[in-house]
Amino acid sequence: MSLALPVRGRRRSAGIRNFELIAGGILTTAMVALALVAPTLFPNVNKMDLRARLLPPFTDLAHWLGTDPLGHDVFARIATGGRISLVVGVVSVLGAVSVGTLAGLVAGYYRGIADTILMRIADIQLALPFMLMAITFIAILGPGLPILITLMIVAQWVQYARLVRGITLTLRDREFVQAARAIGVAAPVIIWKHVLPNAAGPIIVLMTLNVANNILLESSLTFVGLGVDPTVPSWGGMLADGRTYVQTAWWVTVFPGLAIMFTVLGLNLLGDWLRDRLDPTSSR
Amino acid sequence: MTGFLLRRIGLAVFVILAVTVLVAYSVRLSGDPTAMLLTGSGNITQADIDRIRAALGVDRPFVAQYLDFLGGVLHGDLGLTFFGKTSVNALIAQALPATLLLAFLSLGLSLLISIPLGIHAAVHRGSWSDQTVRLLSLVGLSFPNFWLAMMFVLIFAITLHWLPTSGFFGASSLVMPAATLGLILCAINVRLVRGAMLETLSTQYILVARSKGLAERLVLYKHALRNCLIPILTYVGLQFGDLIGGVVIVEKVFNWPGMGSLAFDAISARDYPVIQGVVLVLATLIVLVNLAVDIAYGLVDPRVRLR
Amino acid sequence: MALALGGALLAPGLAQAAGTLTVALASDAESWDPIDTFILDWGRVGSNIYDGLIQRTPDLKLQPGLALSWEMLDDNTRIRFKLRPNVTFHDGEPFNADAVKYSFDRLLGEEGGKGPQQANYTAIKSVEVIDDMTVDFHLGSPDPVLLTKLAGYGAMIVPPKYVEEHGEEYFNAHPCGTGPFKFVEYTPKVSLTLEANPDYWDGAPKVDKLVYRFIAEAATQVAELQSGGIDIATLVPISLLDTIKADSNLTVESITGPNAVALRFNTKDGITKDPKVRKALIEAVDREAIIEQILQGNGKPIASFQSSLSFGNDPDLKPIPYDPDAAQAALTEAGVAPGSKVELDFVGSDATFREVAQTVAAFLQGIGLDPQLKSYETNVLFKDVIPNGKTGDLFQMTWGGWTFDYDNTAYLLYHSGQYWNPYDKDQTLDDMLEKQRNTYDQDARQTILRQIADYVADQAIEMPLYNLNTIYAMNKRVHDLPPTPDIRFRFNGVTLD
Repeated sequence: MSLALPVRGRRRSAGIRNFELIAGGILTTAMVALALVAPTLFPNVNKMDLRARLLPPFTDLAHWLGTDPLGHDVFARIATGGRISLVVGVVSVLGAVSVGTLAGLVAGYYRGIADTILMRIADIQLALPFMLMAITFIAILGPGLPILITLMIVAQWVQYARLVRGITLTLRDREFVQAARAIGVAAPVIIWKHVLPNAAGPIIVLMTLNVANNILLESSLTFVGLGVDPTVPSWGGMLADGRTYVQTAWWVTVFPGLAIMFTVLGLNLLGDWLRDRLDPTSSR
Repeated sequence: MTGFLLRRIGLAVFVILAVTVLVAYSVRLSGDPTAMLLTGSGNITQADIDRIRAALGVDRPFVAQYLDFLGGVLHGDLGLTFFGKTSVNALIAQALPATLLLAFLSLGLSLLISIPLGIHAAVHRGSWSDQTVRLLSLVGLSFPNFWLAMMFVLIFAITLHWLPTSGFFGASSLVMPAATLGLILCAINVRLVRGAMLETLSTQYILVARSKGLAERLVLYKHALRNCLIPILTYVGLQFGDLIGGVVIVEKVFNWPGMGSLAFDAISARDYPVIQGVVLVLATLIVLVNLAVDIAYGLVDPRVRLR
Repeated sequence: MALALGGALLAPGLAQAAGTLTVALASDAESWDPIDTFILDWGRVGSNIYDGLIQRTPDLKLQPGLALSWEMLDDNTRIRFKLRPNVTFHDGEPFNADAVKYSFDRLLGEEGGKGPQQANYTAIKSVEVIDDMTVDFHLGSPDPVLLTKLAGYGAMIVPPKYVEEHGEEYFNAHPCGTGPFKFVEYTPKVSLTLEANPDYWDGAPKVDKLVYRFIAEAATQVAELQSGGIDIATLVPISLLDTIKADSNLTVESITGPNAVALRFNTKDGITKDPKVRKALIEAVDREAIIEQILQGNGKPIASFQSSLSFGNDPDLKPIPYDPDAAQAALTEAGVAPGSKVELDFVGSDATFREVAQTVAAFLQGIGLDPQLKSYETNVLFKDVIPNGKTGDLFQMTWGGWTFDYDNTAYLLYHSGQYWNPYDKDQTLDDMLEKQRNTYDQDARQTILRQIADYVADQAIEMPLYNLNTIYAMNKRVHDLPPTPDIRFRFNGVTLD
């Protein structure tokens, strides 16, 4: 997916930077906090009350964002659903970054056959439409959180591998790396001490943006029935289930939609701020 | 140059083959087409299923089935669908233009808006308008495209009756799908253009051009824009790949008869010939576009030498 | 925007010429040959292009179609059909006994063997032409439901010369029959257009054109209905009913249909092996509440796995009443530990059943069990999980016996060795099922079918949930369409404002 763009802007004015940090920080922290306390706050998120189905928002204190067609509290489900979004976003990115960084380091540092194999796999990955792959594999293995996360890792590790490979390639011929090699420092040590620190900035930026991107992706896949189990509260699932109620009970879709938007916006703002701080290409 | 081209073409063929093998094999792991026959509460026995499997040729080993497909491809024939025995070529000939039209239109729309907006934001960096553009583009990046599509249908088709709800019946049908995809791409591209432009504006030769007293408009649109086309091209190439294969959900919301819907339906029905055909065409297109982007680098920027 | 608006007015999907009826179907059957498919959407189109020897009216009565009359001969081993004279196919060739023989030879021969419909007609051994307007069907084995099946898809009469001249592939995409509408144009995955057949033997249709559009998403079908792009939506989930009812131009038809929904039990392993536990699970679920709240009243309670319209349904058999206390007591007595896991498998893409599944889970939780919901893709559940006996304790099944005869459900679901019966082997059931298949005495059959339903209920082989209404929605400009429980509309009598 192409949402994660290393935009090479320049350092922006302090005012804007602070706005990004504060707004992004508040939005992200609020969503993370909500997801963390959700199990304590709403232990009975699946509790149904068929007599209280489709209550409009702001009419009942117990259900201030209304209820869904099964009488579930919309706010409780948004809070609990946020856990799925965050788990998918964070775990998939951690997985992709681990695999991708390792592959990129090996390919970039040792070049040769490892590099060729990596680049060919990357080419294949690029030519394989993600949705097609996702639909096929979910058909084989059945929907669920683990398969969803695995698919995202498979689709995204290449981004990190390419990034890290590029940085490693430029670094490995620089004097300080050559010097270290000449005095017999082992490759893992060189990579750990010299290469990784230089790659960390761009990687972290890409990670932030991909967490945001994968939250959107999860909601899209769940929306077409390819994501997490439809009975587990998740934002994409709420949008999918609420779709047919959009004209009669707008709150069932609008609030989870807003939850996605604010979370992703928060992460994007933080990503922008981080890029200003960490990406060497933007502070040149 | 010839050597480079030959190598690239060989590589492209390898990649396309690998992708089709991967998809053709894995889709067979996920079940076979006879399940579709069971959906109408049919009076079916295992013997019926075996008979139909043999008629479809899916009881043979994978290698035989795949070689059949390859043999057909060499003759330009993607085979017949399992259920209607229609030609897959014809299905793709119908879906591909719909997909390409939508892809070009939404990409065009996004560039038409994002290039001037991005340049404006870069030139007036830090200004009130720059901040607005940046914030709006971040908001644009932050909601799912299918949600936008649903809202468009609700407003423009159901409430206002301005546009057709779904399908592809003339120019008006294009407006909502293209706007949905175009607006989100626009949010991405405006950031891209702005960033690339900022980079370029600080380079030596723009300073020189300016100091020579060239008109600002000329400097921006002729010299600077040309220079930042490279990163833009790279991403537009990637976006094109996403657009032709990855807009399944938007296609479904608008019932758009494109490649994404075709693939989605074929996978649910396990109509192998259609899946193989779609993947072959999509992979070929994506590989070609990437090749074209590589070559365009050389044209846009003579500093990039073809290896 | 001016361009867009101009385009909108010209778009065929949006502004219909007078006399064009547009119908949305969820799926494109892809082949319009009668013998290739079971897909219900085929029948919604095919019934307007083709005729069978026998027709079934919307209220499920058999009436003469291309046959004027028929009689059973030789101790029910031969059926003689007198054919309707002066009928021609759309291509001009005459309908006669040769066409009937050709159609059935094709269905029962090699060409039919490539498709699923053949399986329904294996009782027919051969077709013999007596004279131009008389044919005899020789039966190899008894099939008391055969006459109903002759009103089904596979038994539609096709034009011999047309099929032979143009070939099978051409015929798939260019159907030709004797029906009220003639084929005009087919765009795969998009639409199929028919026009009125002015020479139809039962009177020319009153609309000029009939357009089918293939729209898989229910929300999109209803949006099209609201914006005037289609006249009839055939995929209307209960969740969209309020939306449609709020629109004064639209009307909803919700009638008793063929589809029964049940949760079948894994009767071989786990806690559901014990009939007492199965009965307790049924008692634990308030099925009336599900019908009232989730289905919004668009369904009926059932005591056996069939619609109230089905032949063999016993109105005196009553569902096991909702009684959570008794259920809990029975569980304790059967030694089921509180907090035991119960897995419920279902098709995840069915929006209404997703709500039902969650409700059932809540009821099972209510008696101290720990229900686990597991959703599958249709293909995987039907092709692998059920036939190979890999289900959880409960699994969803929606069964819409198109013949409206309990035999179609009971035999396929309860007879040992059947594709859909991975768990049970019950001699008593097998005997009863075979007995009713071997007699043409419909009263005797009804008695046996009711005994089967009693027996199944007694053993609690499944948890019958409800008989789901058939729901479709129309623009109010459509008139004279009789309520059609299987949505196999015939549009020859329909008029438009």
